[in-house]
Amino acid sequence: MAVAGSAIGLGNFLRFPAKAASNGGGAFMIPYFVSLLLLGIPLMWIEWTLGRYGGGFEHGTAPGIFHSIWKKNRFIKYFGVIGIFGPLVILIYYTYIEAWTLAYSFFALTGKYAGLSDQASMQSFLRGFQGIEVNRFFNGIGIAYTFFLITFIVNIWVIYYGIKGGIEKLCKIAMPILFIFGIFLVIRIMALGTPDPAKPSWNILNGFGFLWNADFSALLSAKVWLEAAGQIFFTLSVGIGVILTYASYLSKGDDVVLSGLTASGTNELAEVILGGSIIIPAAFVFFGPENMQSIAKSGVFNLGFVTMPLVLNKLPLATLFGFMWFFLLFLAGITSSVSLAQPAVAFLEDEFDISRKRAVGILALAVFILCQPAIFFLKNGVVDELDFWGGTFFLVLFATIETILFAWVFGMEKAWDEIHKGADMRVPRIYKFIIKYITPLFLFFILGMWFCQEWLPIIFMKNVSSADKGFVLATRIGLIIIFAILAILVKIAWRKKKIQQENIR
Amino acid sequence: MRLSGWIFIILSWGAIIIMTVFCFIKVFSKKELK
Repeated sequence: MAVAGSAIGLGNFLRFPAKAASNGGGAFMIPYFVSLLLLGIPLMWIEWTLGRYGGGFEHGTAPGIFHSIWKKNRFIKYFGVIGIFGPLVILIYYTYIEAWTLAYSFFALTGKYAGLSDQASMQSFLRGFQGIEVNRFFNGIGIAYTFFLITFIVNIWVIYYGIKGGIEKLCKIAMPILFIFGIFLVIRIMALGTPDPAKPSWNILNGFGFLWNADFSALLSAKVWLEAAGQIFFTLSVGIGVILTYASYLSKGDDVVLSGLTASGTNELAEVILGGSIIIPAAFVFFGPENMQSIAKSGVFNLGFVTMPLVLNKLPLATLFGFMWFFLLFLAGITSSVSLAQPAVAFLEDEFDISRKRAVGILALAVFILCQPAIFFLKNGVVDELDFWGGTFFLVLFATIETILFAWVFGMEKAWDEIHKGADMRVPRIYKFIIKYITPLFLFFILGMWFCQEWLPIIFMKNVSSADKGFVLATRIGLIIIFAILAILVKIAWRKKKIQQENIR
Repeated sequence: MRLSGWIFIILSWGAIIIMTVFCFIKVFSKKELK
């Protein structure tokens, strides 16, 4: 239940369409599927196996799990810091985006955007809500901040009490409803035809064609490969450290082969078939390809909040369906944010022996403080910057380290046996070769190409406006400080354990 | 949408659906055995 909840979230319905649209649609899908087969699915098995193995040594997070695999290397635990840093950074902006879904479900119920029927007014509505401009819809960021506070409190409450009980029961009903409602929306969108007869090329078939007409021109772009791989990692929750923590609670007899493959299949069904057939075709017929890409590039989560209200307004019972869509997304978001919080909470519990209550309290304070720049400096590119480093770059880097550790340090023969402990089905033998050679080489290739093509422009902020450079730089410094604090905590935890062991002797 | 688009969509959707159905059959048959 927890992993299914973690897999189906805002990444499927909001992030995937925006990433696909801003990276050229058909140009994005080839790297996306190659990444799924050569990176996503193998990494699912790697993380489930590493997590279960590490759990046997009473470690539930990456620093401890990495250390239990490579005991002789005293630096490896610091590479594991990425497995706490990544989900923490994602949690910072994910909480705020979740608040938007809750707010939009409220707006749907109260009819706040009911009269809006074009892109310009819907974008203006979103910009007003985000506090980017004062307009006829909103006179400041107050409403967005109120919904953030509600979302934050709900999240902390769920993280503290766990997903079991009421929330689990609610999600057991809500997730299938989200699925069925998604199918219903896909059917409705397929029936949109050509909404504007003056623009016959903006039709639904061309909308699907934008995503599915294979375009090989972008295959040499490192950025598209990195974004596609990053999306696979983000959506499957691999390369983040979350699965390591969940899998650490498994017993030796649990089937990680089937669990990993089921989580991947369910997630891809939600993302590619539903997520890819709702926002992109709808945005294409209402806004046209150029406008759609420009909205997607204006903010990684903006496309869904501009497009969906317009689509939902065209349905009968628009109020009810609008509320349902955004509220179900909110519930999907909660199950995902609970899983994003797990590595940090488990790290404090396992390595510092502190109670869950205290660990959640420390996390809540840290996340609350760290969320503030994401909320107040959204217009200056802070969320996109956090999403690039926390939600893309470090995921690929962490996956590279995990794969090397698993296939080369742990050893492929031992790793292959470990994967199959408790498994009913065998992983196809070709994956032994893929995990050992192809996955690490592919990851090195993506990182290498990215360093060659994108490193300098990104480091020197060539594509950032001069007004935003200070904010982007401050975000990067903030990220370095968070990483350094986590690394120091790892050092303190290991020193403490060493002293305890010496005292026992 | 071009012919290549139709082929791409049918292959990818088909593969995802087959994989998911296969996994769920396995999961439920395992639960029944237990």
